[in-house]
Amino acid sequence: MLPRLLVPLAALLSLRLGVGTYGSELPKPPMAWFKAEFFHHVLCWHPISNQSKSTYYEVELQWYGREPWKSLPHCSQAPALCCDVTKVTLDLYHTNGYRAKVRAVDGHRYSNWTLANTRLSLDEVTLKVDSVKLEMHEGFIFGKIQLPRPQVAPEGVTYESIFSHFRQYEIAIRKVPESFKFSSEKVNHENFSLPIPGEVGKFCVQVKPSISSRANKGIWSEEQCIVLTKQYFTVTNLSLFFALFLLLCGVLAYCLVLQLYVRRRKKLPTVLVFKKPSPFVLVSKLPYPEMQDTIHPLDIDSFQKVSLELRISDLHSSMDSGFSSTKPSLQLEEPQFLPVPSLQACGALGKGESPDLQVGCNDSGSGSSSSSTDSGICLQEPGLNPGSEPPWEKKVGSTSQGQDDSGISLIQNSEGQPGSTQGSSTLGHMTLPGPEVPEEEDPATVAFQGYLKQTRCTEEKTTVAPCLEEETPLTDDLCPQFRTCLDPEAGWPSPTLAKGYLKQDPPGITLAPSGVPPGRNQWNQLTEEWPLLGLTTCGNLGPSDWNPAHDLAPQDCVVAPGGLLGSFDSDLVTQPLISSLYSSE
Amino acid sequence: MKAQGVALWLLGTALVLCSMYTHGFRRCLTSVDMHHLEECFQEIKRAVQTKDIFPNITILSTVETLRSVKPMDVCCVTKNLLEFYMDRVFKDHQELKPQILRRISSIANSFLYMQKTLQQCQVQRRCHCSEEATNATRMVHDNYDQLEVPSAATKSLGELDVFLAWIEKNHQETSPA
Repeated sequence: MLPRLLVPLAALLSLRLGVGTYGSELPKPPMAWFKAEFFHHVLCWHPISNQSKSTYYEVELQWYGREPWKSLPHCSQAPALCCDVTKVTLDLYHTNGYRAKVRAVDGHRYSNWTLANTRLSLDEVTLKVDSVKLEMHEGFIFGKIQLPRPQVAPEGVTYESIFSHFRQYEIAIRKVPESFKFSSEKVNHENFSLPIPGEVGKFCVQVKPSISSRANKGIWSEEQCIVLTKQYFTVTNLSLFFALFLLLCGVLAYCLVLQLYVRRRKKLPTVLVFKKPSPFVLVSKLPYPEMQDTIHPLDIDSFQKVSLELRISDLHSSMDSGFSSTKPSLQLEEPQFLPVPSLQACGALGKGESPDLQVGCNDSGSGSSSSSTDSGICLQEPGLNPGSEPPWEKKVGSTSQGQDDSGISLIQNSEGQPGSTQGSSTLGHMTLPGPEVPEEEDPATVAFQGYLKQTRCTEEKTTVAPCLEEETPLTDDLCPQFRTCLDPEAGWPSPTLAKGYLKQDPPGITLAPSGVPPGRNQWNQLTEEWPLLGLTTCGNLGPSDWNPAHDLAPQDCVVAPGGLLGSFDSDLVTQPLISSLYSSE
Repeated sequence: MKAQGVALWLLGTALVLCSMYTHGFRRCLTSVDMHHLEECFQEIKRAVQTKDIFPNITILSTVETLRSVKPMDVCCVTKNLLEFYMDRVFKDHQELKPQILRRISSIANSFLYMQKTLQQCQVQRRCHCSEEATNATRMVHDNYDQLEVPSAATKSLGELDVFLAWIEKNHQETSPA
């Protein structure tokens, strides 16, 4: 009985094992699922538990709702556990989806089919962008999202065509090196701009797409970084700079035009064209605060043309006799007058002293004739220089401090004095036996300020020519010797004298230093007209000593050649003159 | 010339009105938040579709079922399918998991809101059901009847994504985002 049952029993056992080995021995894959991105569909499964090296998996795909299953042989490559089914699921975005199943195969053994847990549908597609391009401009980050463009997608099927509405993108910005999000924002368009005011540094941007009307999941894209720097050359800054530059150019052009047009050099009228000024200026109109006593030389030639009668008439009409006054104050008040050089200084100068010593004419005379007047009339012995016209000489310096003369100096020339001769020839010095007139404060005198200024010796100490030699000591002469410091540069002795002032006071004696040296006849005429002038004085007589009754012989004084000098030392002159006056009486 | 112009003008006006009529009627469910429905379905999709062991059979995904519905029949078909789910699917499905049950309840409530919105649209406009619309509705019911009730209900719930996509396409097509 038992041997009859063993055979069917063994057959039954072998049949059962064979079936299990063939169809069911292999466990089926535990799970299968779809992973889908835009036109990248993948079916994955779990391996079986006792998988061997020869185990592989078979995959079949079905269009949901249609009967036949389609086998995918490329998915049966062992030991892969995922299979790309994109090419067989291109209609995913226009259908209800696909179903798939997987089974394990090992030799002749097969497992059961495992269906994918979900149907592959449009909802299964995970959204993702391809990349994002960033630009920086004026504190903004401008981004352009690049949507995926898979090559396997059929023509005309794009991300925008499938998801035509409600596309959204979440933008996340991270500032390097922080790990947290700097900012996050949702935009509804592929082109976006994010403000980053005042921020500099490196910023990284990520994008996650989504569809607001769908439940599709999205994944973050790769980071795209950009470096924000301070932009100085922005459109706004460049525009401002350009506008300022144009404005500056306009201002400069305006100033330049103004400069050229307004201050354009104009040709002076010929009347106003003067010759090149010589060191001796006739008249100085410009104020020199430190040199108010600038004396401008007079043109001797032109001055000589002036008639002596005019000068004489001035002498008659002037309040001032023209003789130097013993009052030093007057002379001080009129510093413009050329002071009378001191007798001592003149003597020293006559010996050929240096110009510096000549300068001392002004200074040295202070002690000798501080009270000398500045009438500038120097009485000269006519015999000393009979043939020559009374030359006009330039007064050398001043004999007293602050003394200025009228430009008329009375010089006593000795015979054979070339300087005096020279001076007489050029300057036209005239000596007058003018008694000293007390220089009171005559209103007429004050009113008439017609003296032409003469240069002092101090002003021309460097160019002062040696004074006219006066060999004769002053004490021996009735008339003091007056020197004229001639300017060698002038080339003639007269320029220095020409700088003297010509007193124009009607009551006084106005004698131009460069005027026509009056001749002897003229001198006699003068003396006849003005008895006062007949009194020969060599200098300033003291006002108290003046006696019009005295009639001094003209020959007692020598007309100094070279012109009139301003003033002379009254102290030296007064004494001998007074003595001569008394003696004559 | 004037008569032809008037005729053309009248024809154009009629076409515009018809398009507005049909287009406007198709968009009766524009106020429905379809995104919420889809999110709810995604949460139960795996659980429901995993239980579907009849992949060869479909209820709503037949080629001629929904794709061939004309714009004029959208209102009728939408109304009929909403009644199908409310009266048969949600009632026949037996769910034990509370999480899945909560989501199905949420979807059912949204369908109820859609039915009321559609009824208001039907009062304002005519929601006439043509023969083609009636035939499409009958096919769905026939497919549902081929399976056992639990399996059919499960499969119908698994095909909610198809129904929701069809609604979005026909009722909520607006300007590009």
